[in-house]
Amino acid sequence: MTDGLAQLSAEYEALIQFLYLAPVGLVQLDADGEIAMINPIAAQLLMPHSRDGGLDNLFVALQDVAPDLRSQCGQYAAQSGKICDGMHVHLHAGSGGAKRMPQILSITLLKLDARRIMAVIDDITEQVRRECRQRQNDAWLNAVLTGITDYALASLDAEGRLCEWNPSIGRVTGFGPEAEGRTYAMFYPADAITPEHARDRLREADADGWALDESRLLRADGTAFWGSVMIAPLPEADREADLGACGDGAAYCLILRDVTDKRDIAERRRREAFSDHLTGLANRRALFEATSQELARSRAAPRPSAMIVIDADHFKAVNDRYGHPGGDAVLQHLAAILLDVFREVDVVARIGGEEFAVLLPSTDLAHALDLAERLCARVALDPVSFDGQAIVCTISAGVTVALDGHVGVDLLIKQADQALYAAKRAGRNRAVAFQSECIDLEAREAIDGV
Amino acid sequence: MTIVFDLPDLATRLDACTSDDLDQLDFGVIGFGPDTAVTVYNAFESQAAGLSPQRVVGQPLFTNVAPCMNNFMVAQRFEDALEQNAALDETIDYVLTLRMRPVKVALRLLSAPGNATRYVLVRRQPK
Repeated sequence: MTDGLAQLSAEYEALIQFLYLAPVGLVQLDADGEIAMINPIAAQLLMPHSRDGGLDNLFVALQDVAPDLRSQCGQYAAQSGKICDGMHVHLHAGSGGAKRMPQILSITLLKLDARRIMAVIDDITEQVRRECRQRQNDAWLNAVLTGITDYALASLDAEGRLCEWNPSIGRVTGFGPEAEGRTYAMFYPADAITPEHARDRLREADADGWALDESRLLRADGTAFWGSVMIAPLPEADREADLGACGDGAAYCLILRDVTDKRDIAERRRREAFSDHLTGLANRRALFEATSQELARSRAAPRPSAMIVIDADHFKAVNDRYGHPGGDAVLQHLAAILLDVFREVDVVARIGGEEFAVLLPSTDLAHALDLAERLCARVALDPVSFDGQAIVCTISAGVTVALDGHVGVDLLIKQADQALYAAKRAGRNRAVAFQSECIDLEAREAIDGV
Repeated sequence: MTIVFDLPDLATRLDACTSDDLDQLDFGVIGFGPDTAVTVYNAFESQAAGLSPQRVVGQPLFTNVAPCMNNFMVAQRFEDALEQNAALDETIDYVLTLRMRPVKVALRLLSAPGNATRYVLVRRQPK
Protein backbone atom coordinates (compact mmCIF):
# COMPACT_ATOMS: atom_id res chain seq x y z
CA MET A 1 0.00 0.00 0.00
CA THR A 2 2.70 2.47 1.05
CA ASP A 3 4.74 1.43 -1.96
CA GLY A 4 1.78 2.08 -4.20
CA LEU A 5 1.31 5.54 -2.70
CA ALA A 6 5.00 6.34 -3.05
CA GLN A 7 4.93 5.30 -6.66
CA LEU A 8 1.82 7.35 -7.32
CA SER A 9 3.39 10.37 -5.73
CA ALA A 10 6.58 9.92 -7.79
CA GLU A 11 4.51 9.66 -10.95
CA TYR A 12 2.54 12.74 -9.99
CA GLU A 13 5.74 14.66 -9.44
CA ALA A 14 7.15 13.57 -12.79
CA LEU A 15 3.92 14.61 -14.49
CA ILE A 16 3.95 18.00 -12.77
CA GLN A 17 7.53 18.54 -13.84
CA PHE A 18 6.68 17.52 -17.39
CA LEU A 19 4.09 20.29 -17.49
CA TYR A 20 6.39 22.78 -15.75
CA LEU A 21 9.04 22.23 -18.38
CA ALA A 22 6.94 21.87 -21.53
CA PRO A 23 8.52 24.49 -23.84
CA VAL A 24 5.16 25.90 -24.89
CA GLY A 25 2.49 27.85 -23.00
CA LEU A 26 -0.63 25.91 -21.97
CA VAL A 27 -3.72 27.46 -20.40
CA GLN A 28 -7.15 26.13 -19.55
CA LEU A 29 -9.83 28.78 -19.32
CA ASP A 30 -13.59 29.04 -19.13
CA ALA A 31 -15.82 30.77 -21.67
CA ASP A 32 -15.28 34.12 -19.92
CA GLY A 33 -11.53 33.75 -20.11
CA GLU A 34 -11.06 32.94 -16.40
CA ILE A 35 -7.89 30.88 -16.04
CA ALA A 36 -8.25 27.53 -14.29
CA MET A 37 -4.82 26.07 -15.03
CA ILE A 38 -1.69 27.51 -16.53
CA ASN A 39 1.86 26.32 -17.01
CA PRO A 40 5.07 28.33 -16.48
CA ILE A 41 5.85 29.20 -20.10
CA ALA A 42 2.37 30.67 -20.48
CA ALA A 43 3.03 32.82 -17.41
CA GLN A 44 6.44 33.79 -18.74
CA LEU A 45 4.89 35.00 -22.00
CA LEU A 46 1.78 36.61 -20.51
CA MET A 47 3.07 38.33 -17.38
CA PRO A 48 4.77 41.22 -19.19
CA HIS A 49 1.37 42.16 -20.68
CA SER A 50 -0.73 41.92 -17.56
CA ARG A 51 -1.87 45.40 -16.57
CA ASP A 52 -3.04 44.46 -13.09
CA GLY A 53 -0.15 42.13 -12.27
CA GLY A 54 -2.48 39.13 -12.19
CA LEU A 55 -3.21 36.22 -14.47
CA ASP A 56 -6.80 35.50 -13.54
CA ASN A 57 -8.26 36.01 -16.98
CA LEU A 58 -6.65 35.31 -20.36
CA PHE A 59 -8.81 37.81 -22.27
CA VAL A 60 -7.89 40.53 -19.77
CA ALA A 61 -4.20 39.61 -19.79
CA LEU A 62 -4.12 39.93 -23.58
CA GLN A 63 -6.61 42.78 -24.03
CA ASP A 64 -3.99 45.30 -25.09
CA VAL A 65 -2.44 43.11 -27.75
CA ALA A 66 -5.30 40.82 -28.86
CA PRO A 67 -8.46 42.77 -28.08
CA ASP A 68 -10.77 40.58 -30.11
CA LEU A 69 -10.11 37.25 -28.35
CA ARG A 70 -13.25 37.57 -26.26
CA SER A 71 -15.49 38.23 -29.24
CA GLN A 72 -13.82 35.49 -31.28
CA CYS A 73 -14.59 32.97 -28.54
CA GLY A 74 -18.07 34.38 -28.03
CA GLN A 75 -18.90 34.11 -31.71
CA TYR A 76 -17.65 30.57 -32.09
CA ALA A 77 -20.88 28.67 -32.47
CA ALA A 78 -19.83 25.01 -32.66
CA GLN A 79 -19.94 22.94 -29.47
CA SER A 80 -16.26 22.13 -29.71
CA GLY A 81 -13.38 22.65 -32.07
CA LYS A 82 -10.60 25.07 -32.93
CA ILE A 83 -11.60 28.69 -32.43
CA CYS A 84 -8.34 29.87 -33.91
CA ASP A 85 -5.23 28.07 -35.01
CA GLY A 86 -1.82 29.66 -34.68
CA MET A 87 -3.18 33.20 -34.71
CA HIS A 88 -0.31 35.69 -34.69
CA VAL A 89 -0.34 38.37 -32.02
CA HIS A 90 2.13 41.21 -32.39
CA LEU A 91 3.44 42.55 -29.13
CA HIS A 92 5.89 45.28 -29.98
CA ALA A 93 7.11 47.04 -33.02
CA GLY A 94 10.46 45.34 -32.84
CA SER A 95 12.71 48.37 -32.44
CA GLY A 96 15.28 46.43 -30.45
CA GLY A 97 14.32 46.79 -26.80
CA ALA A 98 14.99 44.29 -24.08
CA LYS A 99 16.85 41.19 -25.14
CA ARG A 100 14.33 38.69 -23.91
CA MET A 101 11.21 40.33 -25.25
CA PRO A 102 9.31 38.17 -27.70
CA GLN A 103 7.74 40.14 -30.55
CA ILE A 104 5.16 37.73 -31.90
CA LEU A 105 3.06 35.14 -30.08
CA SER A 106 1.09 32.38 -31.71
CA ILE A 107 -2.20 31.57 -30.04
CA THR A 108 -4.33 28.50 -30.65
CA LEU A 109 -7.67 28.17 -28.89
CA LEU A 110 -9.45 24.83 -28.70
CA LYS A 111 -12.98 24.76 -27.39
CA LEU A 112 -13.54 21.54 -25.42
CA ASP A 113 -17.14 22.19 -24.44
CA ALA A 114 -19.36 25.08 -23.37
CA ARG A 115 -17.26 25.71 -20.29
CA ARG A 116 -13.69 24.87 -21.17
CA ILE A 117 -11.19 26.25 -23.64
CA MET A 118 -7.58 25.14 -23.97
CA ALA A 119 -5.04 27.69 -25.19
CA VAL A 120 -1.59 27.00 -26.61
CA ILE A 121 0.70 30.02 -26.60
CA ASP A 122 4.10 30.08 -28.22
CA ASP A 123 6.80 32.64 -28.92
CA ILE A 124 7.28 32.46 -32.70
CA THR A 125 9.30 35.63 -33.24
CA GLU A 126 12.25 33.92 -34.90
CA GLN A 127 10.15 31.48 -36.86
CA VAL A 128 8.12 34.29 -38.43
CA ARG A 129 11.26 36.14 -39.43
CA ARG A 130 12.54 33.07 -41.23
CA GLU A 131 9.22 32.40 -42.93
CA CYS A 132 8.96 35.99 -44.05
CA ARG A 133 12.24 35.75 -45.92
CA GLN A 134 11.17 32.44 -47.41
CA ARG A 135 7.86 33.90 -48.59
CA GLN A 136 9.62 36.72 -50.37
CA ASN A 137 11.70 34.22 -52.25
CA ASP A 138 8.59 32.21 -53.11
CA ALA A 139 6.78 35.32 -54.32
CA TRP A 140 9.64 36.13 -56.62
CA LEU A 141 9.75 32.66 -58.10
CA ASN A 142 5.99 32.61 -58.37
CA ALA A 143 5.96 35.90 -60.21
CA VAL A 144 8.65 34.87 -62.60
CA LEU A 145 7.87 31.25 -63.30
CA THR A 146 4.26 30.37 -62.90
CA GLY A 147 0.89 31.09 -64.35
CA ILE A 148 1.87 33.77 -66.81
CA THR A 149 -0.91 33.89 -69.36
CA ASP A 150 -0.67 37.53 -70.23
CA TYR A 151 1.33 40.44 -68.96
CA ALA A 152 2.17 44.00 -69.81
CA LEU A 153 5.82 44.78 -70.25
CA ALA A 154 6.96 48.38 -70.15
CA SER A 155 10.14 50.32 -69.64
CA LEU A 156 10.24 53.13 -67.11
CA ASP A 157 12.66 56.04 -66.93
CA ALA A 158 14.59 56.91 -63.76
CA GLU A 159 11.52 58.73 -62.40
CA GLY A 160 9.16 55.84 -63.04
CA ARG A 161 7.51 57.34 -66.13
CA LEU A 162 6.48 55.08 -69.00
CA CYS A 163 9.06 55.44 -71.76
CA GLU A 164 6.81 54.23 -74.51
CA TRP A 165 3.48 52.59 -75.07
CA ASN A 166 3.18 49.09 -76.52
CA PRO A 167 0.24 46.76 -77.27
CA SER A 168 0.78 44.63 -74.15
CA ILE A 169 -0.01 47.68 -72.00
CA GLY A 170 -3.19 48.19 -73.98
CA ARG A 171 -4.20 44.53 -73.64
CA VAL A 172 -3.81 44.30 -69.85
CA THR A 173 -4.76 47.81 -68.74
CA GLY A 174 -6.74 49.32 -71.59
CA PHE A 175 -4.55 52.43 -71.65
CA GLY A 176 -3.61 53.78 -75.07
CA PRO A 177 -0.52 55.64 -76.30
CA GLU A 178 -1.52 58.65 -74.17
CA ALA A 179 -0.01 56.72 -71.26
CA GLU A 180 3.47 57.48 -72.53
CA GLY A 181 5.37 59.83 -70.21
CA ARG A 182 3.02 59.30 -67.27
CA THR A 183 4.20 57.69 -64.03
CA TYR A 184 3.35 54.03 -63.43
CA ALA A 185 1.33 55.22 -60.40
CA MET A 186 -1.42 55.83 -63.00
CA PHE A 187 -2.30 52.13 -62.74
CA TYR A 188 -3.19 52.54 -59.05
CA PRO A 189 -6.36 54.11 -57.62
CA ALA A 190 -5.66 57.79 -56.92
CA ASP A 191 -5.64 57.51 -53.13
CA ALA A 192 -3.86 54.15 -52.98
CA ILE A 193 -0.33 55.31 -53.70
CA THR A 194 1.61 58.51 -53.01
CA PRO A 195 4.27 59.83 -55.39
CA GLU A 196 6.77 59.05 -52.64
CA HIS A 197 5.66 55.42 -52.54
CA ALA A 198 5.99 55.15 -56.29
CA ARG A 199 9.58 56.37 -55.99
CA ASP A 200 10.25 54.07 -53.00
CA ARG A 201 9.61 51.02 -55.13
CA LEU A 202 12.12 52.16 -57.70
CA ARG A 203 14.66 52.61 -54.92
CA GLU A 204 13.84 49.16 -53.54
CA ALA A 205 14.31 47.70 -56.98
CA ASP A 206 17.74 49.36 -57.10
CA ALA A 207 18.64 47.99 -53.70
CA ASP A 208 17.23 44.45 -53.96
CA GLY A 209 17.29 43.83 -57.69
CA TRP A 210 13.49 43.81 -57.80
CA ALA A 211 10.36 45.17 -56.13
CA LEU A 212 7.13 43.26 -56.09
CA ASP A 213 3.71 44.50 -55.08
CA GLU A 214 0.25 42.99 -55.29
CA SER A 215 -2.71 45.31 -54.97
CA ARG A 216 -5.91 46.64 -56.50
CA LEU A 217 -5.23 48.39 -59.79
CA LEU A 218 -7.43 50.28 -62.24
CA ARG A 219 -7.91 49.86 -65.96
CA ALA A 220 -8.36 52.88 -68.23
CA ASP A 221 -12.13 52.47 -68.06
CA GLY A 222 -12.05 52.68 -64.24
CA THR A 223 -12.74 49.00 -63.57
CA ALA A 224 -10.61 47.43 -60.87
CA PHE A 225 -8.47 44.33 -61.09
CA TRP A 226 -6.03 42.60 -58.77
CA GLY A 227 -2.58 43.14 -60.20
CA SER A 228 0.92 42.01 -59.52
CA VAL A 229 3.48 44.68 -60.32
CA MET A 230 7.14 43.82 -60.55
CA ILE A 231 9.82 46.42 -61.17
CA ALA A 232 13.41 45.50 -61.89
CA PRO A 233 16.29 47.82 -62.78
CA LEU A 234 17.66 47.35 -66.28
CA PRO A 235 21.27 46.38 -66.71
CA GLU A 236 23.48 49.32 -67.71
CA ALA A 237 23.97 47.97 -71.22
CA ASP A 238 20.24 47.91 -71.94
CA ARG A 239 19.84 51.44 -70.66
CA GLU A 240 22.22 52.86 -73.22
CA ALA A 241 20.64 50.91 -76.03
CA ASP A 242 17.26 52.36 -75.16
CA LEU A 243 18.36 55.98 -75.04
CA GLY A 244 16.81 56.81 -78.34
CA ALA A 245 13.29 55.77 -77.45
CA CYS A 246 13.09 57.46 -74.06
CA GLY A 247 14.09 61.00 -73.17
CA ASP A 248 16.03 60.24 -70.01
CA GLY A 249 16.72 56.64 -70.95
CA ALA A 250 14.95 53.50 -69.77
CA ALA A 251 16.09 52.62 -66.27
CA TYR A 252 13.58 49.98 -65.15
CA CYS A 253 11.48 47.26 -66.59
CA LEU A 254 7.92 46.88 -65.32
CA ILE A 255 5.93 43.66 -65.56
CA LEU A 256 2.27 43.97 -64.76
CA ARG A 257 -0.01 40.94 -64.51
CA ASP A 258 -3.72 40.61 -63.89
CA VAL A 259 -3.90 38.01 -61.10
CA THR A 260 -7.55 38.51 -60.19
CA ASP A 261 -8.32 34.77 -60.08
CA LYS A 262 -5.50 34.08 -57.66
CA ARG A 263 -6.41 37.06 -55.61
CA ASP A 264 -9.17 35.49 -53.54
CA ILE A 265 -6.85 33.03 -51.85
CA ALA A 266 -4.04 35.51 -51.35
CA GLU A 267 -6.42 38.16 -50.09
CA ARG A 268 -8.10 35.82 -47.63
CA ARG A 269 -4.76 34.76 -46.23
CA ARG A 270 -3.73 38.39 -45.96
CA ARG A 271 -6.94 39.41 -44.24
CA GLU A 272 -6.72 36.64 -41.69
CA ALA A 273 -3.21 37.51 -40.70
CA PHE A 274 -3.48 41.28 -40.86
CA SER A 275 -6.97 42.22 -39.87
CA ASP A 276 -8.91 42.69 -36.69
CA HIS A 277 -11.69 40.16 -36.32
CA LEU A 278 -14.40 42.48 -35.01
CA THR A 279 -13.93 45.58 -37.14
CA GLY A 280 -12.18 44.27 -40.24
CA LEU A 281 -9.59 47.04 -39.81
CA ALA A 282 -5.88 46.33 -39.88
CA ASN A 283 -4.57 44.83 -36.65
CA ARG A 284 -1.52 45.79 -34.61
CA ARG A 285 0.69 43.55 -36.68
CA ALA A 286 -0.33 45.22 -39.92
CA LEU A 287 0.07 48.70 -38.43
CA PHE A 288 3.51 47.96 -36.97
CA GLU A 289 4.75 46.42 -40.18
CA ALA A 290 3.39 49.21 -42.36
CA THR A 291 4.74 51.90 -40.05
CA SER A 292 8.19 50.44 -39.77
CA GLN A 293 8.30 50.03 -43.54
CA GLU A 294 7.12 53.61 -44.09
CA LEU A 295 9.69 54.96 -41.62
CA ALA A 296 12.46 52.93 -43.21
CA ARG A 297 11.48 54.31 -46.59
CA SER A 298 11.31 57.87 -45.35
CA ARG A 299 14.86 57.54 -44.08
CA ALA A 300 15.89 57.10 -47.69
CA ALA A 301 13.50 59.74 -49.03
CA PRO A 302 12.66 62.16 -46.19
CA ARG A 303 9.01 63.16 -45.88
CA PRO A 304 6.65 63.52 -42.96
CA SER A 305 4.65 60.50 -41.74
CA ALA A 306 1.79 61.27 -39.39
CA MET A 307 0.37 58.99 -36.71
CA ILE A 308 -3.03 59.51 -35.12
CA VAL A 309 -4.03 57.45 -32.08
CA ILE A 310 -7.73 57.48 -31.29
CA ASP A 311 -9.56 56.32 -28.20
CA ALA A 312 -13.31 56.09 -27.64
CA ASP A 313 -14.32 58.31 -24.71
CA HIS A 314 -15.93 56.72 -21.67
CA PHE A 315 -16.07 53.40 -23.47
CA LYS A 316 -16.30 51.47 -20.23
CA ALA A 317 -19.56 53.28 -19.50
CA VAL A 318 -20.91 52.18 -22.91
CA ASN A 319 -19.98 48.58 -22.14
CA ASP A 320 -21.49 48.79 -18.67
CA ARG A 321 -24.73 50.26 -19.93
CA TYR A 322 -25.28 48.38 -23.22
CA GLY A 323 -23.17 45.27 -22.61
CA HIS A 324 -20.39 43.94 -24.85
CA PRO A 325 -22.64 43.76 -27.94
CA GLY A 326 -23.36 47.49 -27.57
CA GLY A 327 -19.66 48.20 -27.18
CA ASP A 328 -18.90 46.09 -30.24
CA ALA A 329 -21.49 48.02 -32.26
CA VAL A 330 -19.79 51.29 -31.30
CA LEU A 331 -16.38 49.92 -32.33
CA GLN A 332 -17.73 48.75 -35.68
CA HIS A 333 -19.39 52.09 -36.24
CA LEU A 334 -16.15 53.95 -35.47
CA ALA A 335 -14.28 51.62 -37.82
CA ALA A 336 -16.66 52.45 -40.67
CA ILE A 337 -16.23 56.19 -40.13
CA LEU A 338 -12.45 55.85 -40.00
CA LEU A 339 -12.40 53.96 -43.28
CA ASP A 340 -14.56 56.64 -44.83
CA VAL A 341 -12.48 59.57 -43.61
CA PHE A 342 -9.00 58.30 -44.44
CA ARG A 343 -7.37 57.48 -47.76
CA GLU A 344 -6.75 54.00 -49.08
CA VAL A 345 -3.03 54.55 -48.66
CA ASP A 346 -3.49 55.33 -44.97
CA VAL A 347 -3.34 52.35 -42.61
CA VAL A 348 -6.31 52.33 -40.23
CA ALA A 349 -5.87 49.84 -37.40
CA ARG A 350 -7.47 48.73 -34.18
CA ILE A 351 -4.62 48.46 -31.72
CA GLY A 352 -6.36 47.90 -28.41
CA GLY A 353 -9.79 47.36 -26.88
CA GLU A 354 -11.18 50.75 -27.84
CA GLU A 355 -8.02 52.22 -29.28
CA PHE A 356 -7.37 52.85 -32.96
CA ALA A 357 -4.38 54.20 -34.86
CA VAL A 358 -3.94 55.61 -38.32
CA LEU A 359 -0.67 55.90 -40.21
CA LEU A 360 -0.76 58.69 -42.80
CA PRO A 361 2.16 58.53 -45.23
CA SER A 362 3.43 61.82 -46.67
CA THR A 363 1.25 63.89 -44.36
CA ASP A 364 2.40 66.79 -42.19
CA LEU A 365 1.29 67.56 -38.66
CA ALA A 366 -1.06 70.42 -39.53
CA HIS A 367 -2.94 68.34 -42.08
CA ALA A 368 -3.15 65.30 -39.81
CA LEU A 369 -4.40 67.45 -36.93
CA ASP A 370 -7.02 68.98 -39.19
CA LEU A 371 -8.21 65.51 -40.25
CA ALA A 372 -8.28 64.32 -36.64
CA GLU A 373 -10.32 67.35 -35.55
CA ARG A 374 -12.82 66.80 -38.34
CA LEU A 375 -13.01 63.13 -37.39
CA CYS A 376 -13.83 64.01 -33.76
CA ALA A 377 -16.55 66.41 -34.90
CA ARG A 378 -18.05 63.84 -37.25
CA VAL A 379 -18.12 61.03 -34.68
CA ALA A 380 -19.81 63.30 -32.13
CA LEU A 381 -22.59 64.08 -34.63
CA ASP A 382 -23.11 60.51 -35.78
CA PRO A 383 -24.69 58.32 -33.10
CA VAL A 384 -24.67 54.52 -33.32
CA SER A 385 -28.02 52.82 -33.59
CA PHE A 386 -28.06 49.75 -31.40
CA ASP A 387 -31.05 47.75 -30.27
CA GLY A 388 -33.44 50.57 -31.13
CA GLN A 389 -31.40 53.11 -29.21
CA ALA A 390 -28.98 55.79 -30.33
CA ILE A 391 -25.63 55.59 -28.55
CA VAL A 392 -23.82 58.89 -28.70
CA CYS A 393 -20.10 58.39 -28.55
CA THR A 394 -17.16 60.77 -28.78
CA ILE A 395 -13.51 60.14 -29.38
CA SER A 396 -10.25 61.76 -28.40
CA ALA A 397 -7.25 61.78 -30.68
CA GLY A 398 -3.52 62.35 -30.36
CA VAL A 399 -1.52 63.35 -33.40
CA THR A 400 2.19 63.29 -34.03
CA VAL A 401 4.51 63.30 -36.98
CA ALA A 402 7.89 61.83 -37.86
CA LEU A 403 9.66 64.36 -40.05
CA ASP A 404 12.01 61.72 -41.37
CA GLY A 405 12.48 58.03 -40.65
CA HIS A 406 14.79 58.60 -37.69
CA VAL A 407 12.28 57.70 -35.07
CA GLY A 408 11.11 54.23 -34.05
CA VAL A 409 7.58 52.92 -34.40
CA ASP A 410 7.30 52.56 -30.63
CA LEU A 411 8.29 56.18 -30.05
CA LEU A 412 5.93 57.48 -32.72
CA ILE A 413 3.00 55.62 -31.17
CA LYS A 414 4.09 56.68 -27.69
CA GLN A 415 4.11 60.33 -28.74
CA ALA A 416 0.66 60.03 -30.28
CA ASP A 417 -0.45 58.29 -27.10
CA GLN A 418 0.84 61.14 -24.96
CA ALA A 419 -1.00 63.64 -27.13
CA LEU A 420 -4.11 61.48 -26.84
CA TYR A 421 -3.96 61.62 -23.08
CA ALA A 422 -3.45 65.36 -23.21
CA ALA A 423 -6.68 65.43 -25.25
CA LYS A 424 -8.40 63.29 -22.62
CA ARG A 425 -7.16 65.55 -19.85
CA ALA A 426 -8.34 68.65 -21.68
CA GLY A 427 -11.90 67.34 -21.60
CA ARG A 428 -12.11 64.68 -24.38
CA ASN A 429 -13.91 64.92 -27.74
CA ARG A 430 -10.92 66.70 -29.26
CA ALA A 431 -7.63 66.20 -31.04
CA VAL A 432 -4.29 67.37 -29.66
CA ALA A 433 -0.93 67.46 -31.37
CA PHE A 434 2.09 66.01 -29.61
CA GLN A 435 4.44 68.48 -27.96
CA SER A 436 7.51 67.38 -26.09
CA GLU A 437 6.04 68.83 -22.90
CA CYS A 438 2.94 66.67 -23.22
CA ILE A 439 1.86 64.89 -20.08
CA ASP A 440 3.78 61.83 -19.18
CA LEU A 441 2.26 58.42 -19.73
CA GLU A 442 2.37 57.91 -15.99
CA ALA A 443 -0.64 60.18 -15.77
CA ARG A 444 -2.41 57.77 -18.08
CA GLU A 445 -3.65 55.35 -15.50
CA ALA A 446 -5.23 58.09 -13.46
CA ILE A 447 -7.21 59.17 -16.51
CA ASP A 448 -7.98 55.60 -17.56
CA GLY A 449 -9.85 55.12 -14.35
CA VAL A 450 -12.30 57.95 -15.01
CA MET B 1 16.04 36.82 15.60
CA THR B 2 13.42 35.47 13.25
CA ILE B 3 13.99 35.68 9.55
CA VAL B 4 11.10 37.32 7.74
CA PHE B 5 10.55 37.95 4.03
CA ASP B 6 11.24 41.67 4.03
CA LEU B 7 14.14 41.82 6.44
CA PRO B 8 16.92 44.18 5.26
CA ASP B 9 20.23 42.60 4.28
CA LEU B 10 18.52 39.24 4.06
CA ALA B 11 21.01 37.52 1.74
CA THR B 12 23.74 37.57 4.38
CA ARG B 13 21.40 35.94 6.91
CA LEU B 14 20.26 33.30 4.44
CA ASP B 15 23.88 32.52 3.59
CA ALA B 16 24.44 31.76 7.26
CA CYS B 17 21.41 29.44 7.54
CA THR B 18 21.61 25.65 7.53
CA SER B 19 19.22 23.84 5.25
CA ASP B 20 17.16 22.88 8.32
CA ASP B 21 16.88 26.57 9.23
CA LEU B 22 15.70 27.38 5.71
CA ASP B 23 13.11 24.60 5.84
CA GLN B 24 11.51 26.30 8.86
CA LEU B 25 10.76 29.51 6.95
CA ASP B 26 7.22 30.40 5.92
CA PHE B 27 8.26 31.65 2.50
CA GLY B 28 9.99 30.03 -0.44
CA VAL B 29 13.76 30.28 -0.86
CA ILE B 30 15.48 29.43 -4.13
CA GLY B 31 19.22 30.03 -4.18
CA PHE B 32 21.32 29.75 -7.32
CA GLY B 33 24.93 30.21 -8.33
CA PRO B 34 26.68 32.33 -10.97
CA ASP B 35 25.83 29.69 -13.62
CA THR B 36 22.11 29.83 -12.54
CA ALA B 37 22.27 26.24 -11.22
CA VAL B 38 20.00 25.88 -8.19
CA THR B 39 21.88 25.36 -4.93
CA VAL B 40 19.16 26.01 -2.37
CA TYR B 41 15.51 24.89 -2.53
CA ASN B 42 13.72 25.01 0.80
CA ALA B 43 10.79 22.96 2.06
CA PHE B 44 8.20 25.72 1.67
CA GLU B 45 9.00 26.15 -2.02
CA SER B 46 9.28 22.42 -2.59
CA GLN B 47 5.84 21.86 -1.05
CA ALA B 48 4.22 24.71 -2.98
CA ALA B 49 5.59 23.62 -6.34
CA GLY B 50 5.13 19.90 -5.73
CA LEU B 51 8.75 19.15 -6.60
CA SER B 52 11.30 17.52 -4.32
CA PRO B 53 14.70 19.24 -3.99
CA GLN B 54 16.40 16.25 -5.67
CA ARG B 55 14.64 17.10 -8.93
CA VAL B 56 15.65 20.72 -8.76
CA VAL B 57 19.06 21.19 -7.15
CA GLY B 58 21.83 21.41 -9.75
CA GLN B 59 19.43 22.35 -12.56
CA PRO B 60 19.62 25.75 -14.31
CA LEU B 61 16.93 27.87 -12.66
CA PHE B 62 15.45 29.85 -15.54
CA THR B 63 15.23 27.05 -18.09
CA ASN B 64 14.75 23.83 -16.09
CA VAL B 65 13.14 24.90 -12.83
CA ALA B 66 11.21 28.15 -13.13
CA PRO B 67 10.83 28.98 -16.82
CA CYS B 68 7.99 31.34 -15.92
CA MET B 69 10.62 33.74 -14.58
CA ASN B 70 12.65 33.66 -17.78
CA ASN B 71 11.70 37.14 -18.98
CA PHE B 72 12.75 40.73 -18.53
CA MET B 73 10.86 41.03 -15.26
CA VAL B 74 13.00 38.48 -13.38
CA ALA B 75 15.81 36.72 -15.27
CA GLN B 76 16.85 39.88 -17.10
CA ARG B 77 17.15 41.78 -13.82
CA PHE B 78 19.60 39.22 -12.43
CA GLU B 79 21.52 39.23 -15.68
CA ASP B 80 21.72 43.02 -15.73
CA ALA B 81 22.84 43.15 -12.10
CA LEU B 82 25.60 40.65 -12.80
CA GLU B 83 26.70 42.50 -15.93
CA GLN B 84 26.77 45.88 -14.23
CA ASN B 85 28.33 44.46 -11.09
CA ALA B 86 25.51 46.06 -9.12
CA ALA B 87 23.47 44.98 -6.11
CA LEU B 88 19.88 43.85 -6.72
CA ASP B 89 17.22 43.89 -4.01
CA GLU B 90 13.79 44.35 -5.51
CA THR B 91 10.38 43.02 -4.60
CA ILE B 92 7.84 42.61 -7.41
CA ASP B 93 4.33 41.28 -7.69
CA TYR B 94 4.22 38.20 -9.86
CA VAL B 95 2.15 35.14 -10.69
CA LEU B 96 3.62 31.66 -10.31
CA THR B 97 1.98 28.59 -11.75
CA LEU B 98 2.26 26.34 -8.72
CA ARG B 99 0.89 22.93 -9.66
CA MET B 100 -0.53 24.71 -12.75
CA ARG B 101 -2.68 27.06 -10.67
CA PRO B 102 -2.04 30.78 -11.09
CA VAL B 103 -0.90 32.00 -7.66
CA LYS B 104 -0.23 35.63 -6.84
CA VAL B 105 3.07 36.04 -5.09
CA ALA B 106 5.62 38.65 -4.15
CA LEU B 107 9.09 37.84 -5.44
CA ARG B 108 12.13 39.33 -3.76
CA LEU B 109 15.17 39.29 -6.02
CA LEU B 110 18.52 39.36 -4.25
CA SER B 111 21.95 39.54 -5.82
CA ALA B 112 25.10 41.31 -4.70
CA PRO B 113 28.57 41.54 -6.24
CA GLY B 114 30.87 39.08 -4.59
CA ASN B 115 28.07 36.89 -3.17
CA ALA B 116 28.21 33.37 -4.52
CA THR B 117 24.49 32.71 -4.01
CA ARG B 118 21.71 34.76 -5.56
CA TYR B 119 18.18 34.36 -4.24
CA VAL B 120 14.61 34.43 -5.43
CA LEU B 121 12.30 34.56 -2.41
CA VAL B 122 8.63 33.72 -2.83
CA ARG B 123 5.86 34.93 -0.55
CA ARG B 124 2.24 34.03 -1.25
CA GLN B 125 -0.03 37.04 -1.44
CA PRO B 126 -3.31 36.97 0.46
CA LYS B 127 -6.09 36.03 -1.97
